[in-house]
Amino acid sequence: MAAFGSLCLLLALALAAYNLLAGALALRLLATGQTARISPERLADTARRAGIAGFWAVTGAAFALVWSVFTNDFSITYILEHSNRALPIPYKFAALWSGQEGSLLLWAWLLGIYGFVLRLRHKTDVKLYAYAGTILAGVQVFFLLVLNFAAPPFSLLKGAIPDDGNGLNPLLQYPEMVIHPPLLYLGYVGFSVPFAFALGALMMRYPGEKWIRITRTWTMVTWLFLTCGIFLGMHWAYAVLGWGGYWGWDPVENASFMPWLTGTAFLHSVMMQERKGMMKSWNVWLIFSTFLLTLLGTLLTRAGLVSSVHAFAQSSIGNWFWVFMVIVVTVCIFTYVLQRSHLETEHQLESLVSRESSFLFNNLVLLTACFVILWGTLYPILSEFVEGSKVTVGAPFYNNVAVPIGLFLLFLTGVGPLLPWRATSLKAVKRNFVLPVVALWATVAVCLAAGANPWKGGTFSTGSFYALVGFSLAAAVLTAILSEFLRGAAVIMRQTGRNLFAALWLLVRRNTRRYGGYLVHIGVVVVVVGLCGAAFNRNTESELGLHSRMSVGPYTLECTGFTQDSNDNYDSDYAVLNVYKDGKKAFQITPEKRVYHASGQPQTMVTIHSTPEWDLYVVYEGTNPDTGQPIIKAFLNPLVGWIWFGLLIIVMGTAVALMPSLSPATAAVRVPLAQATPLTQAIKGGD
Amino acid sequence: MTETEGLIAGLFLLFALFVYTFWPENSFASQKEKTRLDFLLERKEQLYENLRDLNFEYRAGKYPEEDFKVQRAALEHETAQLLAEIDVLQG
Amino acid sequence: MPPATSEAVGRNQRRVGTRAGWSGRIRVAEALLLAVALCFSLGATDAGARFTNLGHRLMCTCGCAQLLGECNHVGCPESGRMRNELSAAIASGLSDQQILDGFAAKYGVTVLAAPPTTGFNLVAWIAPFAVFAAALLGTILLIRRWGGLRGRLRTAAAGEAAALDPVEQERIDRIRRETDSDGGL
Repeated sequence: MAAFGSLCLLLALALAAYNLLAGALALRLLATGQTARISPERLADTARRAGIAGFWAVTGAAFALVWSVFTNDFSITYILEHSNRALPIPYKFAALWSGQEGSLLLWAWLLGIYGFVLRLRHKTDVKLYAYAGTILAGVQVFFLLVLNFAAPPFSLLKGAIPDDGNGLNPLLQYPEMVIHPPLLYLGYVGFSVPFAFALGALMMRYPGEKWIRITRTWTMVTWLFLTCGIFLGMHWAYAVLGWGGYWGWDPVENASFMPWLTGTAFLHSVMMQERKGMMKSWNVWLIFSTFLLTLLGTLLTRAGLVSSVHAFAQSSIGNWFWVFMVIVVTVCIFTYVLQRSHLETEHQLESLVSRESSFLFNNLVLLTACFVILWGTLYPILSEFVEGSKVTVGAPFYNNVAVPIGLFLLFLTGVGPLLPWRATSLKAVKRNFVLPVVALWATVAVCLAAGANPWKGGTFSTGSFYALVGFSLAAAVLTAILSEFLRGAAVIMRQTGRNLFAALWLLVRRNTRRYGGYLVHIGVVVVVVGLCGAAFNRNTESELGLHSRMSVGPYTLECTGFTQDSNDNYDSDYAVLNVYKDGKKAFQITPEKRVYHASGQPQTMVTIHSTPEWDLYVVYEGTNPDTGQPIIKAFLNPLVGWIWFGLLIIVMGTAVALMPSLSPATAAVRVPLAQATPLTQAIKGGD
Repeated sequence: MTETEGLIAGLFLLFALFVYTFWPENSFASQKEKTRLDFLLERKEQLYENLRDLNFEYRAGKYPEEDFKVQRAALEHETAQLLAEIDVLQG
Repeated sequence: MPPATSEAVGRNQRRVGTRAGWSGRIRVAEALLLAVALCFSLGATDAGARFTNLGHRLMCTCGCAQLLGECNHVGCPESGRMRNELSAAIASGLSDQQILDGFAAKYGVTVLAAPPTTGFNLVAWIAPFAVFAAALLGTILLIRRWGGLRGRLRTAAAGEAAALDPVEQERIDRIRRETDSDGGL
């Protein structure tokens, strides 16, 4: 199967290269109006079909690797190092991305899928798609070059073939690891598509802004994948790494967060281009940067430039990424300089108090956050260069610097929707702010009344202060967004006499993008509430002999026994703990510690009892070698469940935003206003 | 699957994809240039959308009367010029 | 506030919740309040809190790239010893800064989880805020400069209303017909 896989990769490279060269040549011929022996359009179509064929070739390679994992073909080095016979089936798939070669193949394959769909849908706008498809082929050529020559996944083992493989990293043997990496990669890779469209539209001097509408779905879906990928990664870190937290500001996490920030900025600021033809250059550079950041993230973590908890695979492909990034930057700058006259703005911002300016500030804050993270990630390198000694830039740095910026962003999340498009006076919008401000101060008062005073006892607690600000802002933002829904619904109720719910339903259907976006904002608010809870985490650690007890918060843990278990893949030790709440037995938990046979590596399995108030998070840390007693560490993490719940709302909101809006029934309304048909009919007419 | 079988499968795939790519297809989509009229109609849709939105936000109480009138006049003026050009092009 | 008091606050909330009857929303509010109340009461400055605080400002040096206070991998060769050192340092009455300096002298600057706020490393802390301030200022100035447009727009619109030629007026009527009646929906 190794031969088949290698052949597929070579074939894919040849097809991608043909797609790039023939596509570029055809577009060049069409642009200059030169004639050639073959019609340029025919040539462009063979290039497109080569792209589709290339997808099948990469699929063949991916299939070959999965097949080799399932047939335990340990003659392939990659399979030997990342799998073993006893590995459960879902984790055999995970072997595909647990190492560098596999990850790159996954990347190329996902790029192939995106390109496949794109090339099939080319009739939407043949010329624009031809440009985008050719640019995507260029990206694909790079990944296939790396796969063929720098990190071949099918390289064969020299010497005798061992009977069993080294197994999958135990940290990755967790259900989420089967979906988190593909989602994250789908997000990473997906940004190639809006990038290709933006660059293509710029190259061909695309008239108008419709390309944004065409790429909107791509960008939102990609953003959703990346968001889900990041959150699942957080959940995995929380449930597997066993330190009671979910975000450690590790370079790998930062690498995924940076393109998310610029991508989010892009999603907001393209609205200004679409509606008013503003900020064209800015948007082009935002999407260029997002794409470059996905590459930089990969480079940072893969090339070993910065150290990380979970850089699972590091190697020499860094140079390839450097070269590719330089090429991409050069192409971007060159195209921009050549075509910048095409990006002249049609309107200018009219007022500080308008939706437009709130988008501007939103971009400003998101990009500052991105800069802070990039700065923190790269600072050790700078410091080593200047001072001669490395420093660590860890969680305390980001918590001090990024949290205030995040809170400011939260503030904007509430302010933005309240401001109307275009210029208006501050006085006019003031009344829209009354309710949110009331909610803000009410929350502050309630928090203080509940004993939540950051200045308590003469010392100032930053964490508590941030949490207080976070809760109050969250309440204000939630009020602001809900009032937006109600204001809109009220108009529809007035006009159609529908009840509130029917009006809300119609409101959302009429502008899925806006109100879906607001739903996403609500989700973000819920996530922030969950994050604020971290200011109040606490934990306790204790040796727990049989029938001894420990308590954390309202819970008391009593150890009632230990058991052991074993299967083909690992041995495990359990502690059986009864949990009492308010003196009554509430439930039983069994934190676990495993030792995996293939790798010999130990791994703790945390148990988490989640409620809306808090998570009880219990880790079996091992046994004290002196006393033989098990060590149990218990965390009480307030509000963590809200983070995952917030993600659900974000997913829902994005799904709403992805649905097409009911189109306005212009045709049906051509009748004079006085005798307008009942509105329901008009709407059906436009549906 | 042995290596030989793998190679044969690979060669078969190579052949199939080669045929697919270079099959002399004549019904390929042609790259139409977007006309000025297409572009204007797109713009018109967007401006209509902006106007509808403006009306809606006004009704939702987000503009004072005076601001609304100024905004609407400006947008309508822009749209009217666009419509004029469309009328000319559509003959 | 000692934990006992906050528990009392929590129970209070719970009673209110049952009385009100619509348990769902109250429960959420209660969850928030209880958590907030409980948590804010934890800011004590005893040795345990100092240990947690300092443990989160130091790194484990085994190469795991985790904070000392959070390093948890089984059989870590460094973290246990370093934590004992930290406890001893706190017990001996040194100040936070002295302890951090001591660790930095012994293990190198990389043991500190964030760059120190002295010398060149101050740049690490200042740059983010400087960039933020500069960008904020730039954006505001940019909008202010564009802001002049608004007055012009207003006068232009006012002038136009006075003198519209009939063809344009007819077009505007058409636009209004096509966008106004369903625009509210």
